Amino acid sequence: MIFLIAIEKIGDVVMSEFKRKEICEGVGFTSIIDDRFKRGRIGAALIVPLERKTAAANALLSCVLTRSCKKYPDFTALSRKLSSLYSAAIYPSVRRIGDYQVIAISASAIEDRYSLDGETISAELAELLCSIIFEPNMINGSFSEEDVEQERRQLIENIDAEFNDKRTYAVNRCVEIMCREEPFSIGRFGSRSDVENLTQEDIYNAWQHLLKNARVEITMLGSSDPDSAFEKFREYFKDKPRKTSNKSITVSETGDVKRIAETEDVSQSKLVMGFRCKYPETKRECIASSLMSAVLGGTPTSKLFVNVREKQSLCYYCASRVDNEKAMMLIDSGVETENIEKTETAVMEQLKELVKGNISEDEINSAKLALKNAYISCLDSLPALQSYHIGRVNRGDGLTPEESAEIVETITKDEIVQLAQYIRLDTVFSLIGN
Amino acid sequence: MQFTKIENQRAAESYYRLKHSSGLTIVVYPKKDFKSTYASIGTKFGSIYSQFRYKGEKITVPNGTAHYLEHKLFESEDGDAFTKYAKTGASANAYTSFDTTCYLFSCTDRFRESLEILLDLVQSPYFTPETVAKEQGIIGQEIKMYEDSADWKVMMNLLQGMYQNHPINIDIAGSVESIKEITPEILYSCYRSYYNLNNMVLCIVGNADPDEVLAIADEQLKDNEDFTTESIFPEEPYEVKTHYTEQHLPVAVPMFEIGFKEKFPGKYADNQELICTNIILEAFAGESSALYRELLDKKLINSSFGTEYMEGFGYRGVIFSGEARNPQEITDIIRERIRELHQTGISEEDFENARRSIYGKLITGFDNHSSIASEIINGEFTGREIFESIDIVAGLTSADVNERLKAQLDPDNYCLSVVKNADD
Repeated sequence: MIFLIAIEKIGDVVMSEFKRKEICEGVGFTSIIDDRFKRGRIGAALIVPLERKTAAANALLSCVLTRSCKKYPDFTALSRKLSSLYSAAIYPSVRRIGDYQVIAISASAIEDRYSLDGETISAELAELLCSIIFEPNMINGSFSEEDVEQERRQLIENIDAEFNDKRTYAVNRCVEIMCREEPFSIGRFGSRSDVENLTQEDIYNAWQHLLKNARVEITMLGSSDPDSAFEKFREYFKDKPRKTSNKSITVSETGDVKRIAETEDVSQSKLVMGFRCKYPETKRECIASSLMSAVLGGTPTSKLFVNVREKQSLCYYCASRVDNEKAMMLIDSGVETENIEKTETAVMEQLKELVKGNISEDEINSAKLALKNAYISCLDSLPALQSYHIGRVNRGDGLTPEESAEIVETITKDEIVQLAQYIRLDTVFSLIGN
Repeated sequence: MQFTKIENQRAAESYYRLKHSSGLTIVVYPKKDFKSTYASIGTKFGSIYSQFRYKGEKITVPNGTAHYLEHKLFESEDGDAFTKYAKTGASANAYTSFDTTCYLFSCTDRFRESLEILLDLVQSPYFTPETVAKEQGIIGQEIKMYEDSADWKVMMNLLQGMYQNHPINIDIAGSVESIKEITPEILYSCYRSYYNLNNMVLCIVGNADPDEVLAIADEQLKDNEDFTTESIFPEEPYEVKTHYTEQHLPVAVPMFEIGFKEKFPGKYADNQELICTNIILEAFAGESSALYRELLDKKLINSSFGTEYMEGFGYRGVIFSGEARNPQEITDIIRERIRELHQTGISEEDFENARRSIYGKLITGFDNHSSIASEIINGEFTGREIFESIDIVAGLTSADVNERLKAQLDPDNYCLSVVKNADD
């Protein structure tokens, strides 16, 4: 089943703490002026549909780009430049938001007023970031062979290493099984073999494609004047509008519960349960859905924590989290092998309580307070604010963290119970120890 | 009782400190225009304090006791602290390290009520055989989670390889067997010995007012008798126990840590020593170093490679760590380059680059409320004032750093710890 959700056009917005301008269709520049912090940051997020044929190339490209550039055509030369700018950093990050891949290239450095010798770090940083994105280290029209091979090896090692942490591994496996018919089953970096098979041409094409077609959201946070950075990005993007077509999300119907178990030489077994939820159609529903998950298993007074951990002593953690962009909820726990079934039953019992509306005033109020605290706390960290902002742009909603917190207050028990009716168990993955 | 204001002009930061009549050291670090408040109360008691003398009586506690106590302190006779925090919206937690235990919360509203809960939590122990027994299942699963954690095991194995006697070689949470020996009496004896307010520090960072904090403290804190529990540590030889340790766990990429053990000079490191060490490690093994480049070119490391300095009472050492397919070759190269480093010292250019980088990292640290609080609490326990480092790094010379290098990185006093798959 594919839903099409119209993206509300955000356009130019001026709000108390942030200003958003459009360079052209599909390219936004947001500045959040805030002088409370020591370190400022600027980043460009490139948003494209998650596809098997491009995911790996986009991921590897982001690593290759941040390794060197035309001006500093060598990893060590670029690193030295960054250290001399008081531990400035340029780094890639790749994540999934719903069925989209978000490739971000970001830079951060201490604010100019803290430099020891009075340099203007911010101007150099914005220039360096543009150079990284638009003027890579190319030799005869392709990326440096050495850069590509180094980054390919490291990316493969990173993908492999996701197996090293068993909680992460178990969660990833559950999602992969649950969404096997959907783009979401593609890892954020693509697969290991996709990365292995990439050619120089694939990476070059990924670069060209992203710059031409991706939806771009540039964010600048801190106390530096955003105008010169804005001009630099405008210069490049001004004549390159791109379509911001309707957002699509694929959600498979839930049939029989998929059950997959793997055995591994570990001392603690892992249980991960994947549920389908209702796709929240409004901002209010999104928040209600987050609140529902908080009541069930998001806080130390949630149903899962109190009943599965504290009352039955089955585990150290048993937590739920909801992904509104994917309309799914995951519940995971680490348990004794002989307690896997018992834990699953205990989780389903708590879910039933939720569906039946057996939720106390206290449970709702404490979940509300915790969620409000989380929203407002975003305002005290630039990385959190940046990430909140990208999520908001992707969804096409204009709510500030404060406004989200205010809505939390007004959600009723009925709304939570309504949403809970849609929850269906889809996949149970267990990693069984010996 | 009056607060002393401590300021730093370069970082444009300041905080207030006072020793409360109850015995507690209180630090309030207001951050203008921030919405949230982070509060942490710490005691100088962690997993390494396994032997001590309380009013003349020598006590040895089972492994994992400090951590067990941390869990159980959340319960008091009138209910558990999580339930109380749920009414204020604060996000609460606690952690036990080798040398401290901290209880904390972060809130954006109802600060007064949350602080009252925190101060009550550490002042009203309530342990019964039933409540202590109940925690065994939960902590048992926490221990098992760590047993499967490759990055935790690679570090614990390293410490066991480096330290022959010092209790830093014992897992913070203990083992499933050792925690079975923990009784309410043992928890009470640790509580009496180390949760005396004279042995504790409260630090509040963010949206906070010193006078308001003091008023709450005056109401909540009970006077404590001023005494210090004598902690007992065994003699630790200079030499590492072994040069190599290995464990098999299901991992896709092997993980390694290489530790270079140092002489413990009978006291905690001071700010100057720590800054010099950070500069040495940045210049020698940071991303812009020749060593990092060499290891990359030889396809031995990836971006997980890093260094840290581990330091506390009775232990000091430099650690290199990462994920790699050939840790032995990395160790050989690092040891060889260390030998050369002791010959040449750190060059003026490398020093200047590293100094600027370390300065930038120090300044950045003031953006994070929880790291400010943990630095302040650690600083109170080790005699280090947190602003001092900024002025030290601003005025440091390469001669200072090269002098410090002499006492560090003995290429022969090392241990390599590896966690890898059974068939690798």
